[in-house]
Amino acid sequence: MPQASCPTCGAPLSFRPGTMVAVCEHCKSISARTDRDPRLIGQVADLVDTGSTLALGMEGRLDGRGFTLAGRTQLGHPLGGVWDEWYLAFADGRWGWLAQAQGHLFLTFREQAPGSIPPFESLQVGGTVHLGGTVWMISEFSRGTFKAAEGEIPWLVEQEASYPYADLSAPGGAFATLDYSEDPPLFFAGREIALEDLKLHGAGALAAKLKAQNLPCPRCGAPMPLRAPDQTQRVACAACGSLFDAEEGRFSFLKSLKQVDPRMFIPLGAEGRLAGMPLTCIGFLRRACTIDGLKYFWGEYLLLDSHGGFHWLVESDGHWSFVQPIPLAQIQRTGAVLARVPQAVQYAGNTYRCFQSTEAVVEGVYGEFYWKVEQGEHVHASDYVHENISLSEEIQRHPGGGEEVTWSCATYVPPEEVWLAFKLKGEAPSPQGIAPNQPNPHWKTARQMGLWMALALGLLLILFVYQSAAGERLLFQEHYDLFERMPALQPAAVPLAVPQPGSPDTKAEEAQEPVFFSNPIQVESGHRNLALTLRAPVNNAWIGIDGALVNEATGTTELFEVASSYYHGSDSDGPWSEGGQTETVFLSAVPAGTYVLRIAPQWDGKVPPVRAFDLELRSGVLHGLYYGLALVAILLIPILAVVRALAFESRRWQESMFTTSGGD
Amino acid sequence: MRILYLIALAGGFAFLGSNVFGGREYFGNRRRAEIPPSVRQTPGGWRTFMHNHGFRGGK
Repeated sequence: MPQASCPTCGAPLSFRPGTMVAVCEHCKSISARTDRDPRLIGQVADLVDTGSTLALGMEGRLDGRGFTLAGRTQLGHPLGGVWDEWYLAFADGRWGWLAQAQGHLFLTFREQAPGSIPPFESLQVGGTVHLGGTVWMISEFSRGTFKAAEGEIPWLVEQEASYPYADLSAPGGAFATLDYSEDPPLFFAGREIALEDLKLHGAGALAAKLKAQNLPCPRCGAPMPLRAPDQTQRVACAACGSLFDAEEGRFSFLKSLKQVDPRMFIPLGAEGRLAGMPLTCIGFLRRACTIDGLKYFWGEYLLLDSHGGFHWLVESDGHWSFVQPIPLAQIQRTGAVLARVPQAVQYAGNTYRCFQSTEAVVEGVYGEFYWKVEQGEHVHASDYVHENISLSEEIQRHPGGGEEVTWSCATYVPPEEVWLAFKLKGEAPSPQGIAPNQPNPHWKTARQMGLWMALALGLLLILFVYQSAAGERLLFQEHYDLFERMPALQPAAVPLAVPQPGSPDTKAEEAQEPVFFSNPIQVESGHRNLALTLRAPVNNAWIGIDGALVNEATGTTELFEVASSYYHGSDSDGPWSEGGQTETVFLSAVPAGTYVLRIAPQWDGKVPPVRAFDLELRSGVLHGLYYGLALVAILLIPILAVVRALAFESRRWQESMFTTSGGD
Repeated sequence: MRILYLIALAGGFAFLGSNVFGGREYFGNRRRAEIPPSVRQTPGGWRTFMHNHGFRGGK
């Protein structure tokens, strides 16, 4: 490894192949590689303790290739704070760029750009860049400012220089950076990586460096503990409302905030466990948006996990959601786009509909935060909903012209679960209205009923097939010619006349008392119903039967009435008809035995409206009424359950800016 | 609601089951009657009995 001396103090400097700049570990001088002796660039500031678990000199392996953590730079973000870029010197001479921010690691390698890189000025967050066969989504474009460095750096840094860059992501965890500090821009491609995948060992310690500090507020003296001092950029005293810049645990007063009513349910410092993670509440934001002149508030709790990662718990009108970031590349925009807002997005195979899109403004700040938050800070926030999950897109403009888009996934948490997780006193306030991602309780019921309904329909079908297969049996059939059986009605004696509907028959009051008895009928089963069918060719008339099925031996008698009644005509509305010439009456099963039918025909007037009628008695007849009733019992309540679920959805979407029944 | 649904299913299938397997009918213009034994002992007596107890035939 080529050795040189520090131009300032003479201490040895290492310049391995590819190293462009080296920082003297003794005097912090930074020197550039030249053909001869190193050229002094200047002196770097001390590194900010970012809580990184990595350290210079660590060795590791990736995909079977060994590497050493040879150097690090710290770059300032426009929103405050710095992020680390570690440089991995591989044994084969390649260099890897390992960016570390907020608990995430992104490893990239410089590659030949597989296409033309768009100019920096044309970039738009959420937009796409086609490079080679990959469609990259722009998650951020901004400028990073060089702050500090150590070890060997594979690029030529300049003191306090700012470097335009764009971060891209693609499906499958792919990550890329466009470095616009050179012309043409450089292309670095790689992916997000887990710390374990680097198989690090050697110098340094992997233990987390988080160490809480218990400091008093410099303004009012109230306790103002810092639970993530290595990442905290801004602190607001919950007691006096003073806002401080914080760097490595040192406060510098900015201003006194006029705070809104915090309506804070989880106190700062409260510890709990959500989604299987131990979490500490370190900050609280009161945010608001204005829709149709009305201001709507909600609260956001910043939670710190044991690995230094951040999560959010959002409370709005008593509804709670646990929020975690998701990669931009997993979001696919679909549907029409109105004012830069797609009406739907795809994520993890589901379609999320846009619920609202508005400017969200920070109204109150309490506790500590990992960026330089302040009152009045605003982002453009859009929410998309699918069942009990909502996705949020937040687009934030950076000072200096950059833009950043972040996507997060909010899962609904029942209020009582939050109370239990953080051991809060009292009872959770009752949620008001319906939250965008509140689970629809009626769908669960409807789905369960759907399963039961399918089983019941199956059973109904089985019964139908069973009864159809069993068949019906004809027990009795008779043709009754009234003129033959009633001599008084012979045509010679009385002319057959068909009465007109509604016309009074003066002879109608004359009594007719024909009664016929059938031959013995054998009923073999006492468990099958009976159906008696009357067929009579009535025309604008009726004929009825008062009947009885009598068991002479036991006295069991089934009494019934059945009538054929058929009327038709036409009026101003056109032709009409009612009734029919065939009618059936169903009788309950009677005990097996021998029966006789007693038939007493009835009609209006002296003369019967028909010459003859037919009677049939059958057993084991499929009676559709009972299948219809069972079908109603099977379908009615599930339909009501679905209606209830749909009504719940309707009420939910009434709150949306994109409801189909109103709004935009 | 689930309990209500179970009750509705039980009721619907009770009706249907008693019809399919027991031959029971619950609707329609029909009723059951018993002819008194004293009437039954008289050959053909039930015909007169019915004639005098509501099934006269005609108007």
